[in-house]
Order: sequence, then structure tokens, then C-alpha cells
Amino acid sequence: MNRHGFWNDVKKYRTLLLMLAPAVLFFLLFAYVPMAGIVLAFKNYNYSGGIFGSPWNGLDNFKFFFDSGNAWMVTRNTALYNIAFIVVNNVLQVAAAILLFEAVGKWFRKFAQSVMFLPYFISWVVVGAIAYNLLNYDVGTLNVMLTAIGLERIDIYNTPAYWPFILVLVSAWKALGYGSIMYLAAITGIDNEMYEAAEIDGANVFQRIWHITLPNLMPTMIILVLLAVGNIFRGDFGMFYNMVGNNGLLFSYTDVIDTFVFRSLTTSREIGLPAAAGLYQSLLGFATIMLANYAVRKYDKDRALF
Amino acid sequence: MKSFKPLLLMTAVVLTLSTLLSACGGNTDNGGAATEGSTGNGGAAQTATKVKTVLIGGKPADFDMVLEQLNSKLKEKANATMEVEFLDWADWIQKYPLKFAASEDFDIVYTANWAFYNDQALKGGFMEITEDMIKANMPLTQEAMPQVAWDQAKVNGKLYMIPNNRPEVIDKVVLIREDLRKKYNLEPVNSPETYATYLKTIGTNEKGINAFNARAADGWKVHELDSIMLEQNNEWKLIDPNIPLAYKLDDASGKIFNVYDTQEYKDLLVYYKDIADNNGWSKNIVSNKNDVWQDMKAGKTASYAQNIGTVAMNLAELKREQPEVELKIADLNPDKKKKAAISTQNGFALHAPSKKADSSLKVIDLLQNDREIHDLFMYGISGVHYEPVGDDKFSATPATPNYTGFSNWAANSPLNRVDAEYPAEAQAISDGWESKIYHFPLETFVFNDEKVKNEMANVGNVMLRYAIPLEYGLVKDIEKGHADLLTQLKAAGVDKLQAELQSQIDAFLSNK
Amino acid sequence: MSAIATSGGKPGQPSAGTGIKHSDRLALNIIGYVFISVLAILCIIPFLLIVSSSMTEESKIIEDGFQLIPSEISFHAYEMLFKYPAQMLKAYGVTIAVTALGTLLGLFLTAMTAYVLQRKDFKWRNHFSFYFFFTTLFNGGLVPWYLLINSLKMNDTLFALIVPMLLNVFYIIVMKSFMSSIPEAITESAKIDGAGDFRIFLQLMLPLSKPALATIGLFITLAYWNDWYHALLFISKDQLMPLQYYLYKMLGNMDGMRRAMISSGAVVTMNIPTESLKMAMTIVATGPILLAYPFVQRYFVQGLTIGAVKG
Repeated sequence: MNRHGFWNDVKKYRTLLLMLAPAVLFFLLFAYVPMAGIVLAFKNYNYSGGIFGSPWNGLDNFKFFFDSGNAWMVTRNTALYNIAFIVVNNVLQVAAAILLFEAVGKWFRKFAQSVMFLPYFISWVVVGAIAYNLLNYDVGTLNVMLTAIGLERIDIYNTPAYWPFILVLVSAWKALGYGSIMYLAAITGIDNEMYEAAEIDGANVFQRIWHITLPNLMPTMIILVLLAVGNIFRGDFGMFYNMVGNNGLLFSYTDVIDTFVFRSLTTSREIGLPAAAGLYQSLLGFATIMLANYAVRKYDKDRALF
Repeated sequence: MKSFKPLLLMTAVVLTLSTLLSACGGNTDNGGAATEGSTGNGGAAQTATKVKTVLIGGKPADFDMVLEQLNSKLKEKANATMEVEFLDWADWIQKYPLKFAASEDFDIVYTANWAFYNDQALKGGFMEITEDMIKANMPLTQEAMPQVAWDQAKVNGKLYMIPNNRPEVIDKVVLIREDLRKKYNLEPVNSPETYATYLKTIGTNEKGINAFNARAADGWKVHELDSIMLEQNNEWKLIDPNIPLAYKLDDASGKIFNVYDTQEYKDLLVYYKDIADNNGWSKNIVSNKNDVWQDMKAGKTASYAQNIGTVAMNLAELKREQPEVELKIADLNPDKKKKAAISTQNGFALHAPSKKADSSLKVIDLLQNDREIHDLFMYGISGVHYEPVGDDKFSATPATPNYTGFSNWAANSPLNRVDAEYPAEAQAISDGWESKIYHFPLETFVFNDEKVKNEMANVGNVMLRYAIPLEYGLVKDIEKGHADLLTQLKAAGVDKLQAELQSQIDAFLSNK
Repeated sequence: MSAIATSGGKPGQPSAGTGIKHSDRLALNIIGYVFISVLAILCIIPFLLIVSSSMTEESKIIEDGFQLIPSEISFHAYEMLFKYPAQMLKAYGVTIAVTALGTLLGLFLTAMTAYVLQRKDFKWRNHFSFYFFFTTLFNGGLVPWYLLINSLKMNDTLFALIVPMLLNVFYIIVMKSFMSSIPEAITESAKIDGAGDFRIFLQLMLPLSKPALATIGLFITLAYWNDWYHALLFISKDQLMPLQYYLYKMLGNMDGMRRAMISSGAVVTMNIPTESLKMAMTIVATGPILLAYPFVQRYFVQGLTIGAVKG
């Protein structure tokens, strides 16, 4: 009876399935087929054997990561930074989107939106260079200003404690324009009638934002947060590498899995090692998102990712 | 607008497909060219074997022009021609291994110890080159190449590359501002002590200038003065720039030790800290991403350490551009033993699945040892890209920049020409070194790190994280910092690494 | 059924100018202007630094660092960039073509996929969502992917630049989220009228999703515009080099060569303005997109979707 039902369903959904077909095929080819390469994490890759012919070496490729004594530290750093980024970035972007929509005039809004987008275009290499220009000990703009008003210089590049704040701020700055657009688009979709009704009931503008705008942005926020959670164990390599560089003094506070693995591989070009590290990140991310998605489903089935 | 949308979409889709199809068509043209020129063995002399070569570097503007002439000569002398593909400096690290992984079609490829020669060979990327192959195809090279060079290029006893043939000393020197030294009446800089005085004086008294600068931000695992102060000064040989293990040059037993665990190193740390505390270099030196030579030209840095070749060219450059600034090359270890560069600094290898090994080797033979072909490959067209000065020198022409900047160093050989503008003082230093080249039994020993890859990775990481800040004077308590470094190294497996290395050396020596 | 657009005014604007309401609106406006201005300044200053540095003499940058106003103007960096104008124009051409085609096709496919996934009456939507999402979690790495593209013979073709980026799970899911906020009543009535799924998508959903399409379209455009990675891996022919890769090569070449010189002992003298060049590259790469951005903004007008319900 089930078989019967299944084919009936296929017939019923045939147009929808056809519409899904291009994407399904696309990901099958470009994502699932190469996924077979995950086996490299367990192999000692050589050219003659290729991906499938190379000899297995069990968990050897994971040893460099776990025997280094740093595995916990970089994992912890990666997760904590990502959580901070998720929270700070989203709050800031929602605030910016709401204010842009509600509180400023049309031309100012257009100008501000364009300007806020500029950081997105600046590569991390350039951001790192600008940051160094601003913050370095000898001639950095910050220290020049401090000495001008008679204060002591601050050695930012050798003081780890500053860096979580710096990195969070810089990450928020860079993602601001890009992220607030999504919230802005979501806000434009909110039914005007609700606002009008609330106004008639005597709500002031803050109340309207709190009771209407924010709840209506929730679906978007949840989706974006869930999407970010899947990557919670992947560090933004470009940012960390270009901002922190190779200054070992800062590593305990700023090293993430991706930068750690990158540095380990400047000596040997073993493909298996980064594959193993990547698999580790994937498994952790998978566990996390399954939990998160499950939790969201309990709260509201439609708000979850799947 | 609404009614147009479907039409617009359809047009877009059609346009897309047609463009894609036309782009696709372009590909088959490319595929066709690859099959041309099969081995002309015994066939008509017309069809020369096309040998595909992969080099690292950006394609010079005039490369095609030069290649044409080069190919006509190659055709004459070896019945072969070259087709060259370039892997830019910007992305060769990514692309190089991929070309092997995808088994792409090429025959000759540039390789070097710093281009992961050892790794690539072990992974089966290169074809083994046997004595017979050399005998049959490389008469000139067989004569010209010293045995040491061949031995240094062996991996697990097998040869996988034709190394370059230029056993020069590439010790490091420092470049200093001679005018500043004179200004403060300092002693000539020719030793670590005089250099320290120079750095401290300049650093403290000249505002706005860094006495010493380095580009530590690039991730080097040793202080940029280490090769001078630690290795050259103590006559040690570091096995690999990524691990802190070395042996003494004149130690016949080849005993390996951890350089960080020596009195000399402790003393060096004090030396470095002293300089750092006295304004010898910037507090943020480890984060410095500026080009040090550019800094020096702009007057912001008063010295830096580098290979003598690079430094000599710097000297010549500044003499031209800012004659009022006086620079001097200072050899801080003038009386110490010198080592010749390992032959695997540059070389050519054969791609394992290549079917044109014979022709490839013939071509390499000529590139290194045939005067005409060598000159073309290395310097370009005579009279256009350079002016020959006698047999062994050349002088630059306005067109020189149009044929430079790529890895033709694989063809280095005694036929190399020196820039006529090469500063005499640098040449004098180099000549002095030649007479001091020290040969030692372990000269041809190459470490095979197959079994200790994890330890290599972790030890390297420890060096970067703990040794670098320590050496640049960023750690307040040197003793504690030093103790930490040693502990971390142990945790990273340096003992296992050392044991493996020692056993390989012992085996090597007992086989001699 | 027509979509009635309400006047494009902002919600919450007092319909009658009651004096009581002014104070809270005023407060919000002040907060808004201050907050946004601060953000805008933080965003624009670094950019001004870049513009200024791109026009500054290289030696001055080394001496003084980046300044807001160039101490010595020099267009050497731009000269270097445009030294081979034909090459540069070709690069622009490739990028524009790839971006335009990729965005159109990609946006269409993304929207279509998102539409199906948000259909609450589609029994398997969560299964398919998981199928798509899973691909963002696990990755086989560079080597298998490179081998795949290689075996499809996409090397050195526009295919390699366009196809791998056509679909992106992130965009599909965000688009799905936007689309699901469109009331179902609209599609319901269409179905009752006998319209097929594809027609509903094409003629109803797309027009109603303008802000979503504009947003995701913008993102896809930016992704294509900024991409240099695919060119790095798969393109070696000069004619097919997109802008970002062309620029990246120019800069990376000097860096990589310098390191190689240090490692190999070889010597090459080249005089290159790296710092100002980096800045000029940013300007050259960013400029066109920034100019196009204001055109996209007009889609962020509230009210386009809502009135339709009443229709």
C-alpha cells in the first residue's frame, strides 16, 4: 500500500519535483560526488593511487591535530568567536535595518546603505594593513593621538587581551552592510495594516517596533542564526590570518582551527591532514546543527531549517 | 514589466546557453593542440617532439618571442621543442599539487627543496631518473655536474630531479647604513658584537628609524638573524628551516642536537633581548608586513639581513637612485666555515606519467649546458634583453624587465652570466667565501620526514608560537620563556623527531 | 488578481499630525540619525583611506602610513594597473559577462528551488531541505572537486566560472524564508483557478518577491563579481581571466616571488609599488559595483506585497 502511495505522491508532485530537479542534480554533481573525498582523511594520499587507490592509514592524519596539545584551545576559540559574531552581528544588523527603515529620511537612508556596504568590498588583506596602520605601537594613528594628549602608548599587537574585542568589532563592521540588507528586505515585507492598527490603538513608535517589527523579523533571524550555527566550528580564515598574522603571543586568545591547521601545513603538504581537520569541524558542526534545529522544531515546526 | 518578465527570462536563458556552448567549443580547440607532435623517433626529422614544461612564475612579457628562437635551436640540436605553462607566484602553492593530482599532461616541471621536492617525489609525482637515462640523453650534464649535486638530489636513494649546477655559498649577510655608522663613530661592523652596538646606537639616537627590521609576519620560524648568529656563527648546520635540529659541521659522528637546548642559544637570547630593549627593533616587528627593503630605501630602516645576492642588487639599486646614502654589506662571520648551497635549491623534474622522458632530458641537458640555448633561456635575446659582456657577464638593457621574474634558475650552471653592475665589494666577499667552502661527509644527507610528519607540523608550530616572540625580545622573563619553549617542544614530539633523524644519519654515515 | 501597492510611505507615519505622537517619533529619529551616522562614518573612513592611498606616492606611504589626504599625489599604481589596457578591458568584459549570466540563471534557479521548498503542502520539503543543507556541512576538499571539474572538461572555459556558483544553499534557504512570509491565500486562490505550479511560480511568486529577488540577486552578483578562486584553479588562458583574478595575480606575484627569492637564493630586481597598488586594486574592482548598487535600492520599497491580499 505504501508503494502505491509513494508513486501517487510522485505523480501529484510531479511539477514541483521537476522544478527541484536542476538544484538536486546540481548538488548531486558538485557537492555529493566530491564528498567521497572525505576518505582522504583516513588515507596516505599519493599520486599514483589517487583518491581511491591510496593506502589507508587509520586515524594517523588526526594525530597532528590532537597530539599538538592545542586542539581544545583552538576549538574553543573557534566556537566562542563564532557565537560572539552571531550575537553581535545580528543584533547590530537588526538595529541598523530597523533604524534605517523607520527613523531616517529617504536620501539619508540610501546614502547610508551604500556607505555601509563599503567594508564588504575591502579584502581582509587590506583590512589587516589598515588595522596595522591604525594600531601599531610606533606610528599607529591610535598611539599618535594618545601621545598627543599626553597618555601612554598601548602595545596592541603584543597584548592578547584586546584582541577578542578587536576581532568582534571588525567582524561586525565588515558584515554590517551585507547583513542589514537581508533584514531590511524582510522588514519591507511586513504588512502595513498591522502598524496602522497598532497606531490606532495608541501605541508609540517604540512599542510598534517591539511588538510588530521584531516578532516579524524573528523567522529571518532564526534562519540566519541556524545557518550560522552549522558553521560554528569553522573560523573565518581570511580575517584571523590577516588581522592576527603570525604573532605567537596572541595565539592563545585568537588562534582558530583554520589558522592552526594552515600553519601546521606550511612544512608538509599532506592532503590527508587538512582533510582530517575539516572532517573534525564538519562532525562537530553537524552535531550542533542537528541539536539546534531539533530545538527550534520543538518551538515552532515551520521555523526550522528542515 | 510583468508581462516582459517571462520573455526576458527566456532570452537570458537562451543567451546563457549559447554563450556557454560557444565557450565549450573553444575548449575542443585547446584539446586538439595537445595531441600534436608525437615522438619523432625514427620518423621524419620534420616533426620535433613537443615537450610540455611547467615553470613557476609570471609569464614575462617577451617570453613568446624568446621561446621562438629557443625552440628553433632546440629543434636543431635535440629535435625537440618546448611548450611552457606558467604557474604564477600568486597561486603556485595551490595549483602545483593539483596538476599532479589530476594527472595533467606535462613532461618537465620545475622543482626545488622549497617547492616540496621531497614530498612530491615520495607521493609519486616524479619519474625516477636512472644512470642509464642520464648516460643516454645528457652527455653534457654528466660531465659538468659534480657528484655531490647528484647525491644531494636523491630521495631514498633514487634520483628524481636534475638539480641546478651552481654550488655557490648563499650565506646571509647584513646590509647596513654605513653613513650612519660613520656619523656615530662606530667601529666597522664585522661581528655580532659590533653589529649589536650599531643597532643599539642607531635605535636610540635616530628618531623615526628602525635600526633593524624583518618581515617576521611572513611566518618564518626562526629569527631573521638566526642563520647568521646561530647557524653560521657556531658552524652548525640546521637540517631544515622548520625544525630546530642541527649538527656541528666538523662533527664526524653527526650527532644531532636541539639548538634551543644549548648554551649558545641561551647566550643568543640575552643578546637579542639586549638589542630589543635598547630600541634595536620595533616592538611590533613580528606583525610587520611591510617590505623591508622598501623601508630601507625610504630611510625607515637602517639594516636588514638577507642572501648576499639580493643584498648586492639592493646596493646597486640604491647607488643608482640615492647616491648620497651610503650602504655597506657586512659579513658578520668572516672567519667561519662556509657551506655551499644544496643543489636542490632549483632543478627540473620529470612528471611520472610522461612518455617523453628522453626528449625531456635532452632538452634539460641543453638548457643547462649549451651556451647558446642557456643564454637564451636565462637572459633572453642578446642585444635586446641584455648585452653580453665577454663570456661571463651581461649588462641590463631597457628591455631586461620584459624577460625576468620566473624560475629559469633551474638551468643554473657554470655558464651563468653575472650582472656587470654587480657590486665589486659583494663579489669580493663571495670570492673570499669560495676559498672557505668546507666540505663534510653529511653534505649530501637529506632528511626523509615521511614517518614523522605529525611531529614536523607540531614542532614547527611551537617554534612559531614560542620561539619567535622569545627571540624578538617580546617575552619579559627570558629564562621562563626559554623553559616554556623546551617544554612545549617536548610535548610536540621533538624527541621522536630527533631520534628518527639521528637514526637516518647514522645509517647514512655507516653506508659511506 | 492585481497587486495593489499601497503608497510607498513608511509604516507608523502618523496619518493625522497629532502632536502627542511627535515626541516618540522625534526620539527615534534622533537615535536613528546618530546611530546610523556613527556606523556610516566608521564605514566610510577606511574607504577614504584606501582612495587616498591609491593616489599617494609609494615612498610616502612607507614613510607615513595611510593618510586621509595624500601627501604626495602619484598615479603610478593606476598606471601599473592599466599598463595593459587591452588586458584590463578584457578582464572587465569577462567579469561582467560571467556576473550577468550567472546572476540571471542562478537567481532564477534559486528562486524556483526556494519556492518548492516553502510550499507547505509539499510532503517532502523537509527531506529536500536537509538534502541541500547537508552539503554545507560536509566537504570532500579541494582535490576531489578539482578532479571533478577537470574531468568534466570545464578547464579554461566560461563554464568553470559560471556553473559552480549557480546555486548556493545559503541563498536558497534565505529566499525560502522570504517567500514563506507571503500569505498562502494568494497561491490558494490561484490554484482554485486551476493554475499549475510553475505558472504560479512564474507569474505570481516572482513578482511578489521583489525585495527577496533584489536581495539575493545582489548577493549572487557580488559573489560572481568578487570571485577569483575559480579562475585561479581553472583558468590559464589570458582571454578568460576575470577582473579580480587579474588583479590578484598582479599583487600576489610580487609577494610570492619575494618569498621564493629568499628561499632559493635567486635574485630578481623589480620595482613595484605594492601598498598603493593594493589600494588601487580595491578601487578598480569595487567601483563598478558600487555605481550599480543604487539601482538595486529602489526595490526596497515597502508595501509591494501586501496590497495583493485584498485583491
